[in-house]
Amino acid sequence: MSGQADTRSASPGAEIAPRCRLSARINIRLLVLLAPISLLIALFLILPIAIMFNRALTGEDVIAAYVEVLRSPVYTTVFLTTLKISALTTIITLLLGYPVAFALRFGRPRYRAIVLMLIVLPYWLDFIVRSYSWMILLGRKGIVNELLIWIGVIDRPVKLLYSLGSVVTGMVQIMLPMMILTLFAAMLRIDARLMDAASIHGASRWRSFARVFLPLSLPGVYGASLLVFVTALGFYITPALLGGTSETMISQSMLLLASELLDWKTASIAGTLLLFVTSILVLVYNRLFSIDRLWGGS
Amino acid sequence: MGTYKITFSMNLLVGLVLFFLLFPVLVVVAISFSSAEFLTFPPPGLSLRWYEEIFSSYDWVNAFWITIKVGLLTALISVVLGVPAAFAIIRHSFFGKDMFNALILAALITPPIIKAMSIYLFYVELGLNNTIFGLALAHTVSGVPFVVINTAASLKSYDVNLERAACVHGASPLRSVLVITLPVIWAGVLVGAVFAFMQSAQELIVSIFVLGTVNRPLAVKLWEGVQVSTDPSIAAASTVLIGVAILSFLMVVLIKRRDGSLAP
Repeated sequence: MSGQADTRSASPGAEIAPRCRLSARINIRLLVLLAPISLLIALFLILPIAIMFNRALTGEDVIAAYVEVLRSPVYTTVFLTTLKISALTTIITLLLGYPVAFALRFGRPRYRAIVLMLIVLPYWLDFIVRSYSWMILLGRKGIVNELLIWIGVIDRPVKLLYSLGSVVTGMVQIMLPMMILTLFAAMLRIDARLMDAASIHGASRWRSFARVFLPLSLPGVYGASLLVFVTALGFYITPALLGGTSETMISQSMLLLASELLDWKTASIAGTLLLFVTSILVLVYNRLFSIDRLWGGS
Repeated sequence: MGTYKITFSMNLLVGLVLFFLLFPVLVVVAISFSSAEFLTFPPPGLSLRWYEEIFSSYDWVNAFWITIKVGLLTALISVVLGVPAAFAIIRHSFFGKDMFNALILAALITPPIIKAMSIYLFYVELGLNNTIFGLALAHTVSGVPFVVINTAASLKSYDVNLERAACVHGASPLRSVLVITLPVIWAGVLVGAVFAFMQSAQELIVSIFVLGTVNRPLAVKLWEGVQVSTDPSIAAASTVLIGVAILSFLMVVLIKRRDGSLAP
């Protein structure tokens, strides 16, 4: 973008040899740069999905099959559970993540570096390992039960695992770094001079937060929440390990249908619905923020 | 002025969140050194028996190698395809750029189960199921966005005049990029490659579908282990992974520090 603007100003008086210009028109160079990755995504993401849906969803009884899936209490329950767990995860990560991102935004550089490092660290650990650690902690003989008994809240171990609580706990732990980092990146873009202006004009800290910082941070809040929500929709490992039958999420149903019941048709129908919701959210995200933001566009 | 003070209660919350994020990890590490046959925390005694068990097991060692092979291949292809794309995104404006951006985002967040089922059916036709290369290609779809994002971020803060200077002095455009630009932005590229590798190493569902249960990468082996076994050998395998993760993480931090930017 800026590369085009300063092609000339960079070397006043001297015309840069045409081959050295960075702002080539739409040409072969662009094609060479973009074709390989586009081909990969087209061939190994778009085409397979198109083939799968096309195969599963052609035929006379497609409408009937959709109606059957949508009317079956099993699948509607799974869909609703998926939405519920994803929404809960998003809300809790947001409530925990916002203050942390805020502290990072206004912390001193050293504080910022250390906290960031500790937040990113668990991001590198396998989902399986992180979910597994909750199995240890929340089990009947786990440390949480022992602690509750020791404090005297309960007098014998209670069932903590295989519940909505344990699934959401596990998913919140996994998604928190993503939420915090995305919020933090958005908060960095808020110009600190605006808060200066507010306080010069007599606003208290609270008032300048509520009237200046908070509203300006809202786009980041929406963006981060959308990203976390969409990722949560596709979760498989955590609900499978930490949830009971009533916490079954859509990915689990699809995997069961496809690999054990060999019912690819129903699995694909569930898949189109999942993909539909995901795509809408991705489009909304791209519309609102444009993923330019991901590489530091302002 | 203008900036806000970080209050004690806010610091307390930050501390609690960090504890919540890190404590479970410490538990896994502690249990891997347990002498007991079952999962209790804190462990009753210390031993290395679970490490001996996994390192003497052909299955575990083999799984480790499969993960490394698939991961390196994924990282390599991601770099080859992702770096040029980052140049296009940062340096050029072109028709359909928004759509291209959406495509990258879609590659990143299409639910794994949909990727897995569709790629499996597709590979049945191509005969790519049960191949390392096939799995690496499937993983590259999810890995390449990380390379694009990180390279683009580095390119954004790169001073193009360096490259122009080389070009004006007679280097070919390609040579100016390879000799002048790449050495400056390599940190971003490498960080992207490490992300792509980790993404591949942690991916479960596509691996299950594409490799079946004959060839198991580490994630699949862990997954099966978590479901059947209640002894700490899984914790030991996890700790090895944690070690790998921390090493690659430190690598990224060091690279970023040399690069002069600590923010991810």
